[in-house]
Amino acid sequence: MTLTQHVRNGWYLGAWSDEIGRTLKQRWITDIPVCFYRLPDQTVTAVEDRCPHRKYPLSLGHLDDEGTLQCDYHGYRFNGQGVCVGVAEQADRPKAALRRFPLVERDGAIWIWPGDPELADESLLPDTSWLTDPSWTHVHGVVPLKARHMLLLENLLDLTHETFLHPTSIGNAAVAATPIDVTVDGDRVGFSRRMIGIEAPPFYEKSCGLTSPVDRWQDGDFYPPGIFVLNIRVAATGTEEPDGFHMKVLYGMTPGRGNETHDFYALGRDYLIDDQELTKFQHEQQLAVMQEDVDALEAQEIMYATDPGGTAESSIKSDLAALRGRRAVAKMLAREQRAQQDARIPHSRASV
Amino acid sequence: MTSPSATAPDTRPLGSAAAGTPSGTRRGTEFEGTVTVLARQAVADDVVSLELAASSGEPLPVWQPGAHIDVVLPTGATRQYSLCGPVGDTAHWRVAVLREPDGRGGSQWIHDHVEEGGELRVRGPRNNFPLRPATRYLFVGGGIGITPLLPMIAEADAAMAEWSLLYGGRTGSSMAFLPELEGHGERVTVRPQDKHGLLDLAGFLGDPDPSTLVYCCGPAGLIDAVEAHCADWPTGALNIERFAAAAVRQPADDTAEQPIEVELRASGTTVTVPPGLSVLKAVEQAGVPVLSSCEEGICGSCETSVLEGEVDHRDSLLTEDERAANDTMLICVSRARGGRLVLDL
Repeated sequence: MTLTQHVRNGWYLGAWSDEIGRTLKQRWITDIPVCFYRLPDQTVTAVEDRCPHRKYPLSLGHLDDEGTLQCDYHGYRFNGQGVCVGVAEQADRPKAALRRFPLVERDGAIWIWPGDPELADESLLPDTSWLTDPSWTHVHGVVPLKARHMLLLENLLDLTHETFLHPTSIGNAAVAATPIDVTVDGDRVGFSRRMIGIEAPPFYEKSCGLTSPVDRWQDGDFYPPGIFVLNIRVAATGTEEPDGFHMKVLYGMTPGRGNETHDFYALGRDYLIDDQELTKFQHEQQLAVMQEDVDALEAQEIMYATDPGGTAESSIKSDLAALRGRRAVAKMLAREQRAQQDARIPHSRASV
Repeated sequence: MTSPSATAPDTRPLGSAAAGTPSGTRRGTEFEGTVTVLARQAVADDVVSLELAASSGEPLPVWQPGAHIDVVLPTGATRQYSLCGPVGDTAHWRVAVLREPDGRGGSQWIHDHVEEGGELRVRGPRNNFPLRPATRYLFVGGGIGITPLLPMIAEADAAMAEWSLLYGGRTGSSMAFLPELEGHGERVTVRPQDKHGLLDLAGFLGDPDPSTLVYCCGPAGLIDAVEAHCADWPTGALNIERFAAAAVRQPADDTAEQPIEVELRASGTTVTVPPGLSVLKAVEQAGVPVLSSCEEGICGSCETSVLEGEVDHRDSLLTEDERAANDTMLICVSRARGGRLVLDL
């Protein structure tokens, strides 16, 4: 089972704050074309990137200094609320408005809720204060992935793959050999793995200046449908946990168009925060590791997409967190589909 | 714990439901009737072999290695015994019975009451432990667990497959069929515990090999050890038959010891699931197709909607909330509390 339909009633990382300015940026999210831009007061806006007139992408249009968005096909113009304020060809105003999406901009990240705006609940977002905490530093970006969101989710919830896919950087035999504890809190799925007295993987050896043996802790939290936060602690064996090296990785697993996914990442640390060399090294490593994942997931996507079905997958104990993650997303989707059938709620739009 | 081969046949993993349907379970090929004991012979300490023929004189159904028959005792209880004679012999069946003083009495009854010329009611054969084709086999037998392996060895030999057997027991004199195994020379390693200690499973099994299938039958401790050694073997490489249920998750009460009734409402049938047999296997044996994969309560493939009855959850996948909702279960490991379930199958 790999879901190819997307949950929409949930927060996804839509963009990093530094990606969005006074130019129009298109990004497909859960099969919806979205146009991101900022208004003159710097607030970020996201509207469906289809002009209500003849569906031309608004992101191919213009934004003026007053924050009016103009479609560059027939000149429909929309104000900051997404309401059509005029069109060049006639004096009276066409009745039209853009679908706008609930957004939260926080700690340098823009979170988008592509589903029912009534349900958008900020409290479902994870703590991202470390992205702006002065005692931390981080790098971030987004990597395109031609594979369904669920494959990325399962990749992150089952880190035993580090042993096999990333043996020269972050993985070694200890990861696959150490069982995980899995917890479920409502829709949220967490796992934790404690590797004590292990050989230091090369990335951590170099990142933390540690030599073997080390203790390595991984605590992953999946906030369905699309956010994953990994807490990493590495310390010389015997060091008390608070004195170790702390790192965090945030992944925004945002479904794009079809079976494509935006793989947002932020990698942070709370030590040697001014060491630019280390930052550069960590960023290069992060991207190298992600490329190994992207290559694997894209190969896997082809296999799932062409699988005629009828043969079961095999699963093992270390899949438990990933299987629970799948179930959490599947349940959200089922809930959403039931609600749609019950209500047939039209897309909420700005009032005209 | 009376039967030598399979109070609780538990063969895994079998992949899809279709592939997992054991050969020889179709009702049409089953025999149910009276057999005459042609011969009774002591073959080891506390082990007798019985040679059976249909009392009517008619031929017996054909069977495949790994198959067992039910012996229906006068008390109405049934005990399963693996067939261990020549596969092609439709005139005779052979079973071997270990007297188990701590069992529920079935094997003692057979030891004490079954004589040459006497009669027994039997049903079968059925096969929950089929031998799949391979170029190389490793057989591990513990004690009376040797019985299903004997016809497997004969078949592997006939197919010119490479095979070897590791056979353990408490003492040499407790181990049945040693004379007929001797003829296979170095392929057979006999290791009574009083002389050799625990079996050297690591040395015998070696590294995972994609062309090799492992077949193991014996006491739970041996099977657990073989499972541990084969943990990194390919899925499906290890095939086991247990004497008793695997200790998956001990239930809160003793429901595991009770048979349960499971109504399959969509199919309009009801199956009785004896202790040690999974609901999944019972449903498959009733001919109702159902998806399954891990058979360990992990993957969720066999998740089934529960319409009535209280589930005794023993899986690893469901959350506490999902368990409490009592509307779904993983039928590969979970059972019923009140002795009855209605499933949407």
